[in-house]
Amino acid sequence: MAADKVYDVVVVGAGASGGTLAAHLARAGVDVCVIEGGPAINTRTDFNTHALPYQFENRAIPTMKPGKPGFDSERSRGVGGKSLTWNAVAWRFSERDFKGRTYEGAGEDWPFHYADLAPYYSAIEREVGVCGNRDGLEDLPDGEFLPPVPMKCTDVAVMKGAAKLGVKVIHVRKATLSRPMKGRPACHFCGNCMAGCDVVAKYNSADVHLKPALKTGKLTIRPNAIVREVTVSNENRVTGVKYIDRESRREGEVRACVVVVSCACVQSVALLQMSKSRLYPDGLGNSSGHLGKHFIPHFTGGVQCFLGEFVGKTSVNDEGYLDHAYIPSFMHNRKRDYARSFGVQFNYQNRRAVGWARMVKGFGASYKQAVKERYPAFLTFAPYGEMLPGKSHVDLDPNVKDSYGLPRARRHVFYSENDIKIFKDMTKWSVEILKAAGADILAVGEEPRTNHELGGARMGADPKTSVVNQWCQSHDVKNLFVVDGAVFPSASEKNPTHTMMALAARTAERIAGELKRRSL
Amino acid sequence: MKAPRREALRIVGAISSTCAFPFAANELYAQHAGPHGESPAPPPARTQPEFFTAEEFALVSRMADLIIPATSTPGALAAGVPMYIDMVVSRNQEAQRLFRTSIAAFDLSCRARRGKPFLELDEAAQIEVLTPLCEAADAEAPSAQGRAGRKPEVALFKAVKSMTADGYYTSKAGLIDELGYSGNTVMAEFPVCTHEH
Ligand SMILES: Cc1cc2nc3c(=O)[nH]c(=O)nc-3n(C[C@H](O)[C@H](O)[C@H](O)COP(=O)(O)OP(=O)(O)OC[C@H]3O[C@@H](n4cnc5c(N)ncnc54)[C@H](O)[C@@H]3O)c2cc1C
Ligand code: SF4
Repeated sequence: MAADKVYDVVVVGAGASGGTLAAHLARAGVDVCVIEGGPAINTRTDFNTHALPYQFENRAIPTMKPGKPGFDSERSRGVGGKSLTWNAVAWRFSERDFKGRTYEGAGEDWPFHYADLAPYYSAIEREVGVCGNRDGLEDLPDGEFLPPVPMKCTDVAVMKGAAKLGVKVIHVRKATLSRPMKGRPACHFCGNCMAGCDVVAKYNSADVHLKPALKTGKLTIRPNAIVREVTVSNENRVTGVKYIDRESRREGEVRACVVVVSCACVQSVALLQMSKSRLYPDGLGNSSGHLGKHFIPHFTGGVQCFLGEFVGKTSVNDEGYLDHAYIPSFMHNRKRDYARSFGVQFNYQNRRAVGWARMVKGFGASYKQAVKERYPAFLTFAPYGEMLPGKSHVDLDPNVKDSYGLPRARRHVFYSENDIKIFKDMTKWSVEILKAAGADILAVGEEPRTNHELGGARMGADPKTSVVNQWCQSHDVKNLFVVDGAVFPSASEKNPTHTMMALAARTAERIAGELKRRSL
Repeated sequence: MKAPRREALRIVGAISSTCAFPFAANELYAQHAGPHGESPAPPPARTQPEFFTAEEFALVSRMADLIIPATSTPGALAAGVPMYIDMVVSRNQEAQRLFRTSIAAFDLSCRARRGKPFLELDEAAQIEVLTPLCEAADAEAPSAQGRAGRKPEVALFKAVKSMTADGYYTSKAGLIDELGYSGNTVMAEFPVCTHEH
């Protein structure tokens, strides 16, 4: 990289959001550099995709093969980010998700409608391949799907139980190929998705977005560069980024006309908070004082159980591509004493996960027999709830630094009364559905745990109460953008990554257009 | 179900909370104890325990053997579970404290009630000693782990049982021979369920 080169756009973070955005920009003819803290990873060879626990003394399968760097910190996962190890569940949000305040006076409205994002959801589905069934549900819009993958036998049992309570179970929708597409093979159901899919049947941004975009000649990928600051001029324009080289620890700089921060929610917020300047002493683009606020991670509960009709059956290979079914939000049309809702992901354990065995009662030969009988019947159930914006927030730890000398990001999570009501109700429903499916309950999660991270640099029309506008553009600094979960004003209960990717595609189109009009 | 504290503050810190499973119990004891990037080859067989004394190791081995005995399939001993437990404990200070104090208490109470150390009892008597400990451990909520005020013998049984289950069912003998794990293969199509449910 020539030191004096000025790119049109520099994107920080090469995950699902940054990878999608950079590829879309390059295809639109924009000269773009994507900077990633972690190394370039060869998905074919570098992950421990097919390992089994007994190959390791501590029985834990490390993400990377020996000697292969990657996933060593939140700021240096690798080119592809968490899309390399995600589970690929891909939903469209619905109008009700975007307009919570309008519908029920809770949460925050997004500054645009479902219809504004729908074409970009379609574009992503056509580009990366999303399989699923068209179910015609109001709260879970259909898309342009590859054929769905059949449900597991155990899913069908849950479906029958849920039906007794009027609750619908549908095929999961995943950014995983059920048919070969664009040189990528169809999934072969080895059950290793979260260990890194080595054939790229499952979407990851490095292989599906970034590598093909290199052919445009417009894309530069700079791995191993941990960005520590986005620089801003006295004329209130960002000028580029300063980084620390992951290997040599030397400092470097990349200059660009536009800077996009896509470091995965909390790290995006942290990077802006680290970027202090004369103009922005409290963090870049934080004249509102709202940077770091309105952190709204999903929270999960969980039930572990044994499905009665499978106890004592011969164990079969039903790893599949982990979860094959889903319970979409069904509370919106039911009477309840809280706002918003939850959905349920289930049966996504794989059969290498045997941590439940210690909870089976007894010891001796009868205990051994009891575990064996229950093995084909084990199932996890994990409802995901929507957290309303409240007191949860993100800040920098004043005392603790990471191994690069950068402040550690802290998550402060407060559960509001509404959150706790959702948590209790989704736990109650989970147990009831499983009991209706003939399950013997093994354990019920007693406390909510956070999951997908969202919020912290929310979008909105009002610069006094939000950090970016509907184009993910900083209210304060015109040529600064934040594109990832951090901008979500409200979370919905649905896995968020498809929405991040659609948002990245929409923002890329906007940035490319504005650059052409020379209005950035 | 215990109601979670309202408005409880949790500083999650640097650990990303995107965890695949909502249960702490699914994180096997040793999962975070090893060096990053161990070789995906069968680990070198340890011959000597690192943490346990010879007497302690004999006791833990016997308990593991009684918890998962050999039947028509191998049991905990053939699967190398005692060395697995030693490896886990040698890397975990909290577990070290638990084992040191509870083994001593267990030994004292055995001598007091049975007049002999555990290892000198016959199998039927050993099972009699463990049965009430197992019942007490089974009656505890999963979250009771490590709670103060439990009988040390119960804590010992629970720790040995948990580690025996973890070690055995993640071993080749446990996962493949006993449970019949058959995943991690290539399938052309995922089969449609044709069961009568
Ligand atoms: C096991 C697992 C399963 C999941 N399953 C699903 C699912 O089924 N469905 C779903 O919707 N979501 C799922 N997710 C979440 C999903 O992976 C994330 O929502 C998504 O990857 C976020 O995209 P992102 O680009 O914002 O962040 P990431 O994909 O995490 O990418 C951010 C990148 O930025 C880099 N970075 C951070 N800070 C810096 C810095 N200062 N300088 C340089 N680089 C930096 C990181 O190294 C990283 O590579 C799952 C996540 C995990 C871990
Ligand atoms: S199950 Fe399919 S998507 Fe998952 S790792 Fe195997 S081939 Fe890839």
